[in-house]
Amino acid sequence: MDKIELKNLLFLARINAKEEEYPEIIEKLKNTFGLIDEMQDLDLSDLEPLNNPLELSNVSREDKDKDRNEKKKFLDNSPEADEDYFNVPKIIE
Amino acid sequence: MNFKELRGKFRAKKVSAKEAVESSLEKIKDDKLNIFINNFEKQALSNAEYIDNNFDDFKDKPLSGVPIAHKDIFCTEGLPTTCGSKMLENFIAPYDATVVKNCFDAGSIMVAKTNMDEFAMGSSNETSYFGAVSNPWNHNLVPGGSSGGAAACVSANLTTISTGTDTGGSIRQPAALCGITGLKPTYGLVSRWGMIAFCSSMDQAGPFSKDAFGCAALLDAMASYDEKDSTSTKRDNINFEKSLSKDFGSLNIGVIKNIEKLGISEDVINAYETSKTVLTGLGHKLIEVDFSELSSGICSYYVIAPAECSSNLSRFDGVKYGYRSEGEKDIANLYMNTRSDGFGDEVKKRILIGTHVLSAGFYDAYYLQAQKVRRMIKVKFEDFFKHVDLIFMPTTLDQAFEKNRKSDDPNRMYKEDLLTIPANLAGLPAISFPNGFKNNLPIGGQLIGKYFGEDLLLNTTNKIQEVTDWHKMTP
Repeated sequence: MDKIELKNLLFLARINAKEEEYPEIIEKLKNTFGLIDEMQDLDLSDLEPLNNPLELSNVSREDKDKDRNEKKKFLDNSPEADEDYFNVPKIIE
Repeated sequence: MNFKELRGKFRAKKVSAKEAVESSLEKIKDDKLNIFINNFEKQALSNAEYIDNNFDDFKDKPLSGVPIAHKDIFCTEGLPTTCGSKMLENFIAPYDATVVKNCFDAGSIMVAKTNMDEFAMGSSNETSYFGAVSNPWNHNLVPGGSSGGAAACVSANLTTISTGTDTGGSIRQPAALCGITGLKPTYGLVSRWGMIAFCSSMDQAGPFSKDAFGCAALLDAMASYDEKDSTSTKRDNINFEKSLSKDFGSLNIGVIKNIEKLGISEDVINAYETSKTVLTGLGHKLIEVDFSELSSGICSYYVIAPAECSSNLSRFDGVKYGYRSEGEKDIANLYMNTRSDGFGDEVKKRILIGTHVLSAGFYDAYYLQAQKVRRMIKVKFEDFFKHVDLIFMPTTLDQAFEKNRKSDDPNRMYKEDLLTIPANLAGLPAISFPNGFKNNLPIGGQLIGKYFGEDLLLNTTNKIQEVTDWHKMTP
């Protein structure tokens, strides 16, 4: 991984880092991938991937209205909101 | 006083819920180990009075009149829920997690919420924004993690039961390092509703107590089908406490072949060998199983868990709840700076790893390969369980370690989870219990069971604890 790849990765993850921190971050990531890469030697071509241990099927419920309005409760938890909306800085110039 | 004695005294009207809560709160206020993030004196006393005033409704409930501490990963309505992170330092949960509600309905009173690794990512409780927790047996050592505070709380006798969560060993490893009993249930037995998500396909809540009895009673309260969690499993309720006295007869128990090659310390191996004689003494038959694929589990886990973490934690953007960086002029910087300031280093590292393994060009080599390893581990367990009823192995490679020691070498910290991760990948239930001591520090042993075999795990552990004293040791 080089600095350009890390910059792209940081952007995808929406995390900031100063350029002088890049070498340390790259080193940490390389170290972890060194551990992970031990599995690359395994030939598992005949196995299906497993994404959930119980291989459950989706549970569905009736599509019914519920008389529940918790708007205020949820808006109150926002760092910045008015009566009806979450407030954010300007998105479009 | 252990859980069984305390509940017995409440039921016999010798100790009121209020007295039990007052006694717990007094000890919690004196805590020098940084076990708690918040305690709730006013609310706890008022809930205790409610239970005392409605004694007849609660006296036969599994947790009647007993104080409990919840890991601060469970949402508690109207009260702070931090998940060990600056990101949620001032977050007030708008609803109760199903686990919290179930425990209250079962007659317990929440007195405090326990410290934990940030977003449950860590094996030493040192990644918490609120500082490290000390091990009650030796204050220079870590209690394990991520449910380090919850395990230390029971170990130090501040409450007799507590809740934790286990994604890669976060109940069993701290239970082993603190000398108590902790159970990770089958994936799907306990609702994840209101439990802040880290790795949704592995996260599972479970009980801590000194012994199998306390864990059984707490699991009776925690386990329930919940339509609010789409991975919750609908099944007949088993009474775990009652199943402790059931006779399951002589069992075939798998023990690990060539265990000395796994890098486990001599003291842990010695305890393991001693426990094997306890098992044969109880009439069980030991059958060697070859688990050489075990170490691949770590590779798989450290791809899948960060991948799910990067997806789950994308919700923390400074808009709807939690921390927001100040003075931002545009939305892009708001997202970036909120996440950079709000998350700690370990969490950010895992988000980056997860984002990388899910990105175009790397998906097949990492994420898909890791899911195939996951399948391999599951198939391996299915093969074992054709011949054995349970598998027995140590919980950890070594005893509790010094603070700051493994933070310098993260891979060494990750390898700490070698023996606990396989059960998470496969979704199987597993219990850790104290099975030896060395240098006045506890050692843990672990039994892994078949899907929804918690009754047999608890029963077998209980039988072991009837003939051993390790779980009775106190720091």
